[in-house]
Amino acid sequence: MSKPIFELVDQLPTNNLTIKVLNALDFIAPGEWQNTVGFVNTIKTVTGETDEDLIQQIGERAIYLYNDSSQGYQRALWLYQTVDSTDKALGAAALANKIGENVSILGFLDSITPKPEKAQTIDLTLKLVVELVAFCQINGIPGDSIGDFVAALGEYSSESFIRMAALVCLDGLIPLGPNFINKALTGISQMSPHDLEKNSTFNTVKEFIPGSNAAGKLNFIGDSFESVKGWMNGLVANNNLSPQGVVGNLQQFVEITEDKLDYVAAFLDVATNYYEHTGTQTLARRLIERAVDEI
Amino acid sequence: MTRGRRILVSLLLSLLLLVSACSAKTPNRFDQVQQESTKHGSGLAVAKGATQGSRLNKFFPQGGDGYQRVYTQEKKGFSAANLKKDGKTVAQLAISDTTSVPGAAAKFANSTQSIGGYPAVELGNTQTAILVGKFQVKVVSKDPLFTAGDRQAWIERFNLDGLAQLK
Repeated sequence: MSKPIFELVDQLPTNNLTIKVLNALDFIAPGEWQNTVGFVNTIKTVTGETDEDLIQQIGERAIYLYNDSSQGYQRALWLYQTVDSTDKALGAAALANKIGENVSILGFLDSITPKPEKAQTIDLTLKLVVELVAFCQINGIPGDSIGDFVAALGEYSSESFIRMAALVCLDGLIPLGPNFINKALTGISQMSPHDLEKNSTFNTVKEFIPGSNAAGKLNFIGDSFESVKGWMNGLVANNNLSPQGVVGNLQQFVEITEDKLDYVAAFLDVATNYYEHTGTQTLARRLIERAVDEI
Repeated sequence: MTRGRRILVSLLLSLLLLVSACSAKTPNRFDQVQQESTKHGSGLAVAKGATQGSRLNKFFPQGGDGYQRVYTQEKKGFSAANLKKDGKTVAQLAISDTTSVPGAAAKFANSTQSIGGYPAVELGNTQTAILVGKFQVKVVSKDPLFTAGDRQAWIERFNLDGLAQLK
C-alpha cells in the first residue's frame, strides 16, 4: 500500500502552481474552495469539533476505513492520481524551483508538445469518467432511485466543484475552444475502440470503466459525457466562460500569450495535478464525514 | 592520516548523518492506529455481517417544511444524507451498524437521556445520537443555527420503531 492517508493529507502543498491555478478559477464561484490541508486541520474544518479526544477518534475511524481496501477509498485515490500523472516528470522537475516567482511559459516552449485534438478529447472524457467511477467508489450509489443518485451527484461543492470547474476550463475550454462540448462529443462518436486502446491512461484505468470490451467502454465514456453536457453548458453560460477569459485570470502568475492556447493547455497539463490534489481533499472529507457518523 | 583518507572519513560521516536524518521519522499521533489497521491484512473496518446501507435508506425522514433530504453515501453498514434548507446543508443524517465499531454502541451504556424511547447521547458540539438495536442513528449539525433541539427533533422523524425491527 502507498502512504498512510494522514500523511497524504498532511503533505498536500499550500503553494504551488496547482494551487495558484485553482485560486485563479475562484472567480467562477468565489470562496467555494479553500485549500484545506493537514489531516487534523481537515477534521476540524469538516466537523467544526475542537475536542482533541473526539478528533482522535474521528481520525482513527477514518484511517481504519481508508485502510480497508474493500471499501473502495484506496482505489478512488489511485484513480485520481493515475488520471493526473501521465507526463508529469517534466513538469515537476522544471518547476521545482519556480515556487514564489512568476512562471514564463516561453521557457518551456521547446520542451512541451501540444496534444492533438483526439488525444485531448480522450483526456477530457476519461477524466470525467474517472470522476464518476471514483464518486461511486467513495460514496457507493446513494439512495433508492436514479433520481436519488443524480441528486447525490448534484451535491458537488468545495473541492469537488473546483475540480469540475478546472476540468471544464483547463481540459475543455483552453485546449479545445469555446465549442469544446460538441467537439468532444463528435470526437468520441468518430473514435474507434482501437484509438482508445492506444491511449496509455485508458489502458491503466480501463479495468474500472464499465463495459466488457473497449467498444463497450467507449460507449460508456460517450454516455457519461453526454449526461453531464447540460451541467457543463450551464457552468460555461452562467459564468460567461471563454478561453480568453480563463487565460486572462491565469496571467496573474503565468506569462502566457493568448495565441498559443494549445501550448498553454499542454503546459498546464504537465505543470499541475489538480485532479490528484483536490481528489485527495474530497476523499479526506468523505472519510471524515463517515467517521463522524459512525463513532 | 593522509589527506585523502581524512576526506574519505568525513565524506562517510556526512553520508551516515544524511542517511540517519532521512530515516528518522517524526512520530505522529495516528502511527499506532495505522499499524493496527494494517496488521492483519485488509478488510478490518466493516464487520462481515453488517447490514447493507441500501436496507437503511427507507428509515430516513423525508424532507418537507422547506427542508430537502439528499442521500450522500451508502456503504455496507452505513447510509447518510444531507439535510438542506434554501440550498444550504444544515445537518447530516446517518444510520450506521455498530457491529463494525463496538465503541459506538458502548458509549450508550452511560446514557442518561432518551429520545423516542431509545438511549441518547450528545457528542462534541455538533452531534446527537441514539442506539436502536444494533444501529446508531445520528444527526450532526453543519450549521451553527441547527441546534441540539433541532437534532433531537430530526432524530424523532426517523422511522425508529421500523429500524428496531431490522436485524
